[in-house]
Amino acid sequence: MRNKRDERTTLNAKNEMLTRTEGLVLRTQQYGEADLIVTYLTLSKGIIKAFAKSPRKTKSRFGSSMEPLTYARISLWGKEQSMPRITQSDIINSFCSLRESFKDFTYASKLIEILISITPEGIPNKKLFSFLLGVLNFAEIQITKNSKLRTKNWDLRNKNKDTMYLIFQVRLLVMLGYAPRLKGCGKCGVKSPDFYPHIGTALCGRCAVPSVKGRELPLRLTDSTINFYSHSIEWPINISTRLKPHHETVSRLSSVMDEHLTYLLGKKLMTSEFLAKI
Amino acid sequence: MSNGIVENLINALMKLPGIGRKTAQRLSFYIMGMPADEVKSIAGALLEIKEKARFCRLCFNITEDELCAICSDPARDKSSICVVEEPSNLIVIERTKTYKGLYHVLLGALSPIDGITPEKLKINELLERIKTGGEVAEVIIATNPNTKGETTAQYLSQVLKPLGIKTTRIAQGLPIGGDIEFADEVTIAKALEGRKEMTDNN
Repeated sequence: MRNKRDERTTLNAKNEMLTRTEGLVLRTQQYGEADLIVTYLTLSKGIIKAFAKSPRKTKSRFGSSMEPLTYARISLWGKEQSMPRITQSDIINSFCSLRESFKDFTYASKLIEILISITPEGIPNKKLFSFLLGVLNFAEIQITKNSKLRTKNWDLRNKNKDTMYLIFQVRLLVMLGYAPRLKGCGKCGVKSPDFYPHIGTALCGRCAVPSVKGRELPLRLTDSTINFYSHSIEWPINISTRLKPHHETVSRLSSVMDEHLTYLLGKKLMTSEFLAKI
Repeated sequence: MSNGIVENLINALMKLPGIGRKTAQRLSFYIMGMPADEVKSIAGALLEIKEKARFCRLCFNITEDELCAICSDPARDKSSICVVEEPSNLIVIERTKTYKGLYHVLLGALSPIDGITPEKLKINELLERIKTGGEVAEVIIATNPNTKGETTAQYLSQVLKPLGIKTTRIAQGLPIGGDIEFADEVTIAKALEGRKEMTDNN
């Protein structure tokens, strides 16, 4: 059980607060010579940005606790309206193996980019926090399992990772309430293979009125893509990640999700472009 | 003398990293007390670096000629290339006086979330250099021991593998002069992974 003292806020006469909470490092931005601005997903304050003095120096007391994906117990000091300063950071789980795997880190970065782009700052969401922590734990266990496998077939290992992270991405969008509707027409529910990214749903020939039809060409969905998408959402994560869909199915669903996110965010994801170039 | 020019100098110095208003003010008044020829030499050096500095054609270190002093030195060991993120990293390694090989500066590190892709760095140039050079036997990856540096190292190791060249990564662990007590678990784990057998030097 979580210790209640781990999430507390103390206010002084100058309206400065000491907040203790748990957080996952989402990203870091260099500031000045050796300082960092760290973006956390915290348990008690949602997404926040905090300032860390000199963590990039070799002998910094913060050590590696501000590296992306680190799960840490942090103390923040500052006024409510300004960026707080990190006064303490103790690692709970470093998720070091995820950072040391090029493919895993790139995929995890994609999840984080989606999360940062969609989620507003300062709104606590314990369900989202638990989800992301669960995803990182699950991915870390898979790395340990894979390292014990005798197969040197890296293509097979990477293919499984493509599937696993795509399922995580689908579930993240479901949790954030931005998942596209692929199973049946969004208006009448009739089975339809045409997905319209700018509407965020599949539409049947009758419901896709000429004005919608003319604006953008729909993306064609196959039965296997729709089934894989549904299983990703409905089945428990440890079962859905055992699915071994055809690589064509994975790449089609991946491009549908990317198109949907591009429309949603008004820009292409940096991590999607990165993945396309490696 | 009007306060305008002093204020201009303070504002100009504040643009430098690590210099706040107080330091800029102190430097400004110090500069005012310096002999004119010393001030001119500082100003000249600043202008000179902006006018003459460019990247070495081979390694992308900062130089004023086509090739930097290291690349054009015939005494350097051409069989090893040490890959660093920035020219400032190269200077630090050179200060150790233990490495006699060549360098390659990437001018950054990979970062998926910031959109820093391999073609934005000097990775293709490194591969080309190895392919056409023919003498390189080892590539030492000395990118920073942080996530971006590690991602870059992983990627480099992947793209260098087909070339059949020995690829090594600099050791990671505890800094000299520090206490184990204050190190975090990841750093200690890395230090344990990279431990080496004690040899009898007597």
